[in-house]
Amino acid sequence: MNTRMDNTKDKRKALFFVGSPKGKTSSSRSIGGYLMRKLAEAGLEAEEMTVAAALQSTENQHRMHKAVDAADLVIIAFPLYYDQLPAPLVQTLELIAERRKGTLVASPSAGPLVQKLAVIVQCGFPESLQNQPALDIMRQFATEAGFEWAGALALGMGGAVGGRSLERAGGVVRNVVKALDLAAASLAAGDGIPGEATALMAKPLMPRWLYVLAANWGFRREIKKHGARGRVHDRPYA
Amino acid sequence: MEKRNEPERNDMNILILNGGSLNGRGASCRKIAEAAVNESRARGWNVTAYDLDGMAIKPCRGCFACWLKHPGTCAIKDDEEPILRSIVASDVQIWISPVTFGGYSPALKKALDRSIPNILPFFTKRHGEVHHPHRYHNRRSYLVFGTLPSPNPEAERIFHNLVRRNALNLDSVMTESRVFYDGGVETVVAGQVGELLKAAAEGR
Repeated sequence: MNTRMDNTKDKRKALFFVGSPKGKTSSSRSIGGYLMRKLAEAGLEAEEMTVAAALQSTENQHRMHKAVDAADLVIIAFPLYYDQLPAPLVQTLELIAERRKGTLVASPSAGPLVQKLAVIVQCGFPESLQNQPALDIMRQFATEAGFEWAGALALGMGGAVGGRSLERAGGVVRNVVKALDLAAASLAAGDGIPGEATALMAKPLMPRWLYVLAANWGFRREIKKHGARGRVHDRPYA
Repeated sequence: MEKRNEPERNDMNILILNGGSLNGRGASCRKIAEAAVNESRARGWNVTAYDLDGMAIKPCRGCFACWLKHPGTCAIKDDEEPILRSIVASDVQIWISPVTFGGYSPALKKALDRSIPNILPFFTKRHGEVHHPHRYHNRRSYLVFGTLPSPNPEAERIFHNLVRRNALNLDSVMTESRVFYDGGVETVVAGQVGELLKAAAEGR
């Protein structure tokens, strides 16, 4: 019997995993953090952890499992690495799935009866469709680990966020903010991410040619700043 | 399909990245790796094989120093460095992994994430999409083998699609993916790996 769910005085819990190796300075955290603030404003109890911290020690892994067990809603935000999830996030999902499969066999979960999983993925490429394999993998994880799929938001042109808070990123992220507001309202009501929010998040933040121009200019500026302009095409292993 | 009569090259460099664990589900991956080594050596090709699970490879930390500060080399100095060299020298790469939620195992994924020093930061358009250009000029073929305890159509669909996306991003010469099931690996793997290696060599 799930006692916590029977107690209506308890707040619903949302657990946010920052799946970026950059942790708290990442764009994934900027975007997911905005969503979490909205969920907290709507009355959910919000908890955040980075994947790097969760993997750091056995003690932290226990803490992670405990937090996952207690969550009504798990939100994972991450950047696209090599067409899918960053390696530490895959490792974390493996740990969660293995434990939940074991738990389901050994004894009933002490957590909520229905646990939802919502996902945010962003990539530096202009096309949000490049995130599709990562979304498919997350959905498959939800199936294998016994989460109810609550939908996903996929963003291209993630470089435009650049780790800044969305409030500081300006008008260029207005559709991102709208998408997150819609998603937060729906998730707070116990529903999934609406299609309208998914569509808004997938909209290009600017024309593709402009993003590519700005990104290439930004790379050159950073390379120059680090004194590496003459070495940018180096082939150390040729 | 048109039959090609070109002779097999005898100077092929085959790189095997085995992402299976050193125990448990890694057994099938090891059998595939062994078959790939044997098939390659039988043709007189050079083989370099890495069992990634036993190697000290830290995850990519997304610092982009390999693009912006010291182009072409990673800020982390560990067992990934010989892999980066082997990738550059390879003509055909063979990736082997337990199918993990439709994707690759953490061990294989770590090695792949850390290979971004071998591409350039700038954006270029390829097949109507934006991708990164290669730092080195040679293009490669990829054979990607997944293992599962038993058939799982959805996980397999995701796996094949992922490999297809990788092929696009890597601008590969030829890419093929197969999923083998634990228990039946021995009976099918040698023949299939041999055929695919032959096709990959002909594609060079």
